[in-house]
Amino acid sequence: MSLSIRPMLASLLRSRTGAILVALQITIALAVMVNAVWIVSQRIVDIEQPTGIDDHNTFVVAIAGLTSHFDLSSALSEDLDYLRGLPGVVAATATESVPLTGDGQSTELWLQPGQRGHSFAVGEMQLDTQGLETLGTSLLAGRNFNSSEIEHSTPWKLDLTPADIIVTRTVAKALFPGENALGRVVYDTAGKPITIIGITRDFMGAIGLGNAPYAYAIYPQIPGAYGAYFCLVRTVPGRLDAIMRTAQQHLAASNPNRVIFFTHSLAFYHHRMNANDRNMAIFLSTVTALILAVTCLGIFGLATYNVSARTKQIGTRRAIGARKRDIVAYFMVENAFILTAGVVAGCVLALATGYWLSLQYALPRLDLYFLVGGVLFLWIIGQLAAWQPARRAASVSPSVATRTV
Amino acid sequence: MISYYLRLASKSFGRTPGLTTLMVCAIALGIGACIVTLTVYHAMSGNPIWWKNNVLYAVTMDSWDPAQPADTDHPALAPSQLTYRDATYLMSSDIPRRKAMMTVLLGMLNGAPGQTTPVPTMTRATTGDFFPMFDAPFEYGGGWDAAADRESAPVIVLSHEYNERLFGGRDSVGQTIQWNGRQFRVIGVLKDWQPTPKFYDLNEGAFAQADNAYVPFNWTRTLQELPAGHSSDWEANSPGTYPGYLASEAVWIEMWVELPTAASRNRMLSFMNSYWAAQRRAGRFQRPLNNHLTNVSEWLKINGVVSSDTSILLRLAFAFLAVCLINTIGILLAKFLKRSAVTGLLRALGASRRQIFWQHLVEVGAIACAGAAAGLIVGALGLKAVQILYAAASSGDAGASNYTALAHFDVVGVAWALALAALSTVAAGLYPAWTVGRLPPSRYLKSQ
Repeated sequence: MSLSIRPMLASLLRSRTGAILVALQITIALAVMVNAVWIVSQRIVDIEQPTGIDDHNTFVVAIAGLTSHFDLSSALSEDLDYLRGLPGVVAATATESVPLTGDGQSTELWLQPGQRGHSFAVGEMQLDTQGLETLGTSLLAGRNFNSSEIEHSTPWKLDLTPADIIVTRTVAKALFPGENALGRVVYDTAGKPITIIGITRDFMGAIGLGNAPYAYAIYPQIPGAYGAYFCLVRTVPGRLDAIMRTAQQHLAASNPNRVIFFTHSLAFYHHRMNANDRNMAIFLSTVTALILAVTCLGIFGLATYNVSARTKQIGTRRAIGARKRDIVAYFMVENAFILTAGVVAGCVLALATGYWLSLQYALPRLDLYFLVGGVLFLWIIGQLAAWQPARRAASVSPSVATRTV
Repeated sequence: MISYYLRLASKSFGRTPGLTTLMVCAIALGIGACIVTLTVYHAMSGNPIWWKNNVLYAVTMDSWDPAQPADTDHPALAPSQLTYRDATYLMSSDIPRRKAMMTVLLGMLNGAPGQTTPVPTMTRATTGDFFPMFDAPFEYGGGWDAAADRESAPVIVLSHEYNERLFGGRDSVGQTIQWNGRQFRVIGVLKDWQPTPKFYDLNEGAFAQADNAYVPFNWTRTLQELPAGHSSDWEANSPGTYPGYLASEAVWIEMWVELPTAASRNRMLSFMNSYWAAQRRAGRFQRPLNNHLTNVSEWLKINGVVSSDTSILLRLAFAFLAVCLINTIGILLAKFLKRSAVTGLLRALGASRRQIFWQHLVEVGAIACAGAAAGLIVGALGLKAVQILYAAASSGDAGASNYTALAHFDVVGVAWALALAALSTVAAGLYPAWTVGRLPPSRYLKSQ
């Protein structure tokens, strides 16, 4: 196969505007694609983070008293008795905040009293003895609370600190790296000692703290600080909808002094929690796909135009002995030049964009594998886009050379 | 002449229907994507009370922990809310023309005619100036006065939506309704008022629904009810009683003032500073002086209301439009050059360069107009898709945001479509039309 690069380049430079425009599209397309795919991959990692709880088989009932004189604690224990007695219910607990909603309380645990030493921010989950089973998490070490340890919180004990807590593995590791946290003592913000009596598998609680989705401490408490509470109910698989309906109807009618705000499955909140990441991924993928499609059409259009503008020259080449595959090779190599120029500029633009995004929006820095993958992908689909016009060029008959236009 | 150019253009489109469709589609997709992101961005970054931007100020004082800032990510910022004692003291000032303090209470509405089940609602407990200060529009009746604030009068203002729900939308002023088990008199019903973002209280989410009921602030104290809104405290010991809570360093009150002149602003700030100094001598406010009066646009900015995803998507949409326009330039250039023999003939017959230029520009303009029209449709469909996608984020109760309200196709979208179409014409058409007009006719009269 004989390819003379020099005349090819000369011809490319003579009609350069079209080629530059296509290369420019490739440049932008590469920069957008690489960064978009990078961001989407991060979002997918976020979305697929396991919750550590049985969100598909657990639902929440939000209950509030009509007045501030509503007898919350007796209503609460009646409700829990009822819910636990329902056939198909695995476990139920009352809580101040609902997992996966982003709405809850947080505090700090310290290694020394008086807010000294190492500390770690944790989300609080107030749960009773059935709390762990309701969430669907389990102990890695230590023991569960027993019923005598469960305290009733009241409006004027906002930061009721228990003597014992259960923490997630994330918290245990953060407070006591490389050591066994079980049985160790930590201190609340007021300097009161708290013993870690259990360590659970990681799970997501109510309030997501920055980059620590699993930083939670379980407090052995029954809600009462506000005029409202939530009941969490875990059912056997497949029974959630039916039990949720039954429970809602019964609870709405059983006590005229209170209202059922809403019932939702935790899967609903899980879906909502990821909505922004999911939508961003959808938008980015859609627009990236469109940019690639438009760019490929541009490549295709330029190649088609070049072929039709040079029909006579192709015929002449064929007449003096060029084989079909020489013609195909000519157009493919010409296209490869344009692609390469666009891709090289695109690498620079992609890196610059990635750097700027990481500065401006504190996104993680672009992974170079994504750039390499993007370059190969764009180069290949760019060549595919020029394939059909190049094939058509090869089918130009040598007899064209003998005709005038 | 224009009609002749248009005829030429339509002939040209007829010769290459595929290419023409491709160009119109590319421009339509580019403009459509821009309309979608611009509409969302505009709504997010909008200032819902821009006409009072330099009159309304959020009041903040840094009463936080001497050991660390309230927000460790933004250490220069004071807490966005005030303690009860600071808010009540600052409310005693007569420097502002209007002033309001506020919090959110959980309320149960019951006893409207025909009502069978109580309706839970987040209720804004605030002072009477809230309504005139924020230009909240009344459908019926009005707000309450300073006396009602002092005596915690049992008066309530309902939103348009809740008046529909509880009173069937009729004038309910003078009717009574139970709020948390007590009789309240309806004194006003707001029109459909949804300030987006909800600038006066960003703590429940910048795009949360507007409140559905409003009662005088002092009901918080009368009922000794804890706020259902955001409340945070840095002190080691928790307040054991309601009076303890009121006296604590817990911040839970938003405060806004209306200061029409720079002089009043300065006086208010020095009033705050002298209060700060006196309190500091008494042992509070151990952090550096950080008293602020922040106007609405600055307030929205420092609280990061526009999500970074939205501004990334906005830039992405413009990159996409750029690719679409470059694509169109390439196609147009190829197309114009291909028929340069005809153009050469026209030039030889006496058409001036200017006429050739305009002839081609009219052709481009027609494509851009078609692209903009199709882009409006793409944009409207895109916004519909955004609404559907965000429906999941906007539903539910605890922590829900009203994102769907952001994606309403409005006059802003149309204006942007027109502007972008004009811009596209210029961007995509000028160079090809100019190139073609500039070429010497003789060259194109020769055969290849």
